[in-house]
Amino acid sequence: MNNSFTGSNRLTRRHSLKLLAAAMAASLLPAWPGFAAGSGRWQKTIGAGNKTLPVIGMGTWRTFNVGNDARLLAARTELVKAFFELGGGMIDSSPMYGSAPDVMGHALSQLGIAQPGAAQSDMVGSLFAAEKVWSPAGGSAREQIADLQQRWKIPQFDLLQVHNLADWREHLAVLRELKAAGKVGYIGITTSHGRRHSEVEQIMASENIDFVQLTYNISEREAENRLLPLAKEKGIAVIANRPYNGGSLINNLKRRGERLPGWAAECGCTSWAEFLLKFIVSHPAISCAIPATTRLEHLQENMRAGLNPMPSAENRKQMVRFFDAL
Amino acid sequence: MNSYASYQLQDFIPFSADVYFRLLERISETWWPLHLLGLALGAAALLLALKKRDRLVWLLIAPVWAFVAAVFFMQHYAQLNWAGHYVGYAFLAQAILLLLLALAGVSRGKVPAAKMSAVAGSRPAVIMVRLGIAIGFGIALTGLLALPLMAPLSGAGWWQAQVFGLHADPTAITTLGLALMLLWGWRLWLVAFIPMLWLLLSGLTLSVLQATEAWLVFPVLAAALVGIAVLCRYPAKKA
Repeated sequence: MNNSFTGSNRLTRRHSLKLLAAAMAASLLPAWPGFAAGSGRWQKTIGAGNKTLPVIGMGTWRTFNVGNDARLLAARTELVKAFFELGGGMIDSSPMYGSAPDVMGHALSQLGIAQPGAAQSDMVGSLFAAEKVWSPAGGSAREQIADLQQRWKIPQFDLLQVHNLADWREHLAVLRELKAAGKVGYIGITTSHGRRHSEVEQIMASENIDFVQLTYNISEREAENRLLPLAKEKGIAVIANRPYNGGSLINNLKRRGERLPGWAAECGCTSWAEFLLKFIVSHPAISCAIPATTRLEHLQENMRAGLNPMPSAENRKQMVRFFDAL
Repeated sequence: MNSYASYQLQDFIPFSADVYFRLLERISETWWPLHLLGLALGAAALLLALKKRDRLVWLLIAPVWAFVAAVFFMQHYAQLNWAGHYVGYAFLAQAILLLLLALAGVSRGKVPAAKMSAVAGSRPAVIMVRLGIAIGFGIALTGLLALPLMAPLSGAGWWQAQVFGLHADPTAITTLGLALMLLWGWRLWLVAFIPMLWLLLSGLTLSVLQATEAWLVFPVLAAALVGIAVLCRYPAKKA
């Protein structure tokens, strides 16, 4: 073991000063909720428990709405398979995404995750299934969830969220009951495009929720002002949607031929995808980003963003200055 | 931020371009060689419209609308967009409307003399009505021939070609052209309403998907509006 303390039982004055300095420095740093697993993939802890999530998940808006097209179903199954092989965890969908829940169910059943009692493959053992409920409100929430579980072909979801705050009081009441009954692991709310942040803040402050999903990326940083600090304070996990602003952010950078700064390599950024995603998931309050794609090479780029090293707080400031100057 | 002002057109299109074009392909693959029948029906309807055989025209294309409602919208499009069923019902309503029109037999040639415009029959009126009918003829040809050729000409392949009688856009465009050739006044508005509404929705969708067909749909809509304005202003008995 290469440890200076092992050679002697005596603590020298020099060692003591070093230890003291390190302890002081550590106390000044913000608590860093992330860690790199043995594979080098970055994970973050959710809430007060010991559940961890890989920081790069997968969104399904537009990309998984392919109907019953056999060719596209096979392509999306391959994508989900690659996602798990590359260490993915969270997959997020919604009843508002057309056939996406059915397509996900098809992919999961093809890959070995299935109805209760069926053997589950290791590949999809890391699945963290996130769904949503939306209007109409009231008694329909349970029916929606039962319907979505059938469509996904899974016994229960890990996370259920109220889609875009639709009838959130009624839906959250139902979700809380389901959580108390052990029928869902976590509950939360969603918004996007920076909409209704003040209402989101009120719900975060007053309701007992585990997750909030919102839009956060290098060009949409409004959540940094109030929502992300509040999430950190309350221990609410944050899912960042629209990491590429619906694709326009990364497409514009590529179309304009913008090049990564030299120092980006220090934090493991070799592509714009990694630069943009690492910026998001390195925020201490963000648990996970959910980029959506239909292409395997894009998925691979996205998943590389979850690997060590991550940008430091100083790197993040550099990233913002660089992006704003473009 | 005002939550309503933050919505953009793409927020309402729940599928990507490749998925939409695959949908067009799958319908083509499934129903081949029905394309030939669709084109023959469309061509026959156009010839009958030139001969002012309006009842036969509506009788020919009413079942086409019902077919597109069932196959294009309810069987395929509704899988991608929850609104697909409602658009399918609108296409069914159009089929019924065309059938009723065929039974009633109301066309430009049947305009009661008492309701004729004072300017009808004057040289400028005749020219304007002919212009309106020519616009209709051009639009019908666009739906029958130009739109199907756009996919293969842009390198997308023949299976993505949209054909009258199978796909929604050429069916709506051709019907719009036929309506301009045969109808006037509120009857024209009535028959043109659903095709124009669909074409507006389709044009917006295609523009979000950055499809070349969007460049055809919007000029067709603009030309149709001009044609309708002309024909409603000059409802001449004889062009």
